Amino acid sequence: MAESLREYLHLVSDPKSLDASVEEVFQLMLGVNCQRVPGPIADDPESVTAMVGFGGLLSGACVFKSGSSAAMKIAAQMTGMEFATVDDTVKDGIGEICNMLAGAWKGKVPELAAHCGLSIPAVVTGRDYELRVLSPEFKLHHSYSFKETAFTVAIICDGLK
Amino acid sequence: MKETRTLIVDDSTVMRKIVERSLRQAGLDPLVVYEAGSGTEGLEVLKTKKVDLILSDINMPLMDGLEFLRQLRAQDLATGVPVVMITTESSEEHVKQAIQAGAQGYIRKPFTAEQVKERVLPLVNAI
Repeated sequence: MAESLREYLHLVSDPKSLDASVEEVFQLMLGVNCQRVPGPIADDPESVTAMVGFGGLLSGACVFKSGSSAAMKIAAQMTGMEFATVDDTVKDGIGEICNMLAGAWKGKVPELAAHCGLSIPAVVTGRDYELRVLSPEFKLHHSYSFKETAFTVAIICDGLK
Repeated sequence: MKETRTLIVDDSTVMRKIVERSLRQAGLDPLVVYEAGSGTEGLEVLKTKKVDLILSDINMPLMDGLEFLRQLRAQDLATGVPVVMITTESSEEHVKQAIQAGAQGYIRKPFTAEQVKERVLPLVNAI
């Protein structure tokens, strides 16, 4: 059993792994192509954030964030339903997207996949909140768009053994 | 044509619907679906319903998919019914644990309907 992931840090923190994971999840589960966009996306006052925690040799979280209209579009694309509000189905869908992103991302490095577990997704909705993490080991924070819809995905590593 | 009675165990209602849609796209028709949001709920369903196929997530609250598999065997429920795990966990260790616990197949999320067809249809056709 691997006792450390430090020697794989260059693979674990490779930004391309995150882009490939987003592309894979959105292509396979929603049938859409996502494009990475430079810089932060415009803030929507009402937002949806899903988080899946990592535990084991790497600790941290995968965080998905979008405006409420983007979240409804994503859930609609997943389910074939239409949504007028961010209801439980939308939250459930966004939580599952985050879950798959976290799983796909850690699956890119076999040593990480084997020694890092995933938590159940948590979803937060509301306005004017921010996620603050003290001194992460590394952080990937990318913005993406599809069909005039934008969202961000972050991988926050706050501990690497 | 005989219907395929299927139990889908996943804490995500959206994912249960996507799995059901994928089974229909894979050609499983007619299909009767029972849903459960955890391993505990899945065991309860199996006490009253007979099924031909079980698809289960691994990471779930209350009772995870691996414990659900162990309890199936321990309680002599759904004996001989093929179980396919559908999960974000993809390491060799997770696959090994699932097979040891009694799963016949493993599908990693995200997945395509084609992958569901490839892994599930042979099991259903062998019933």
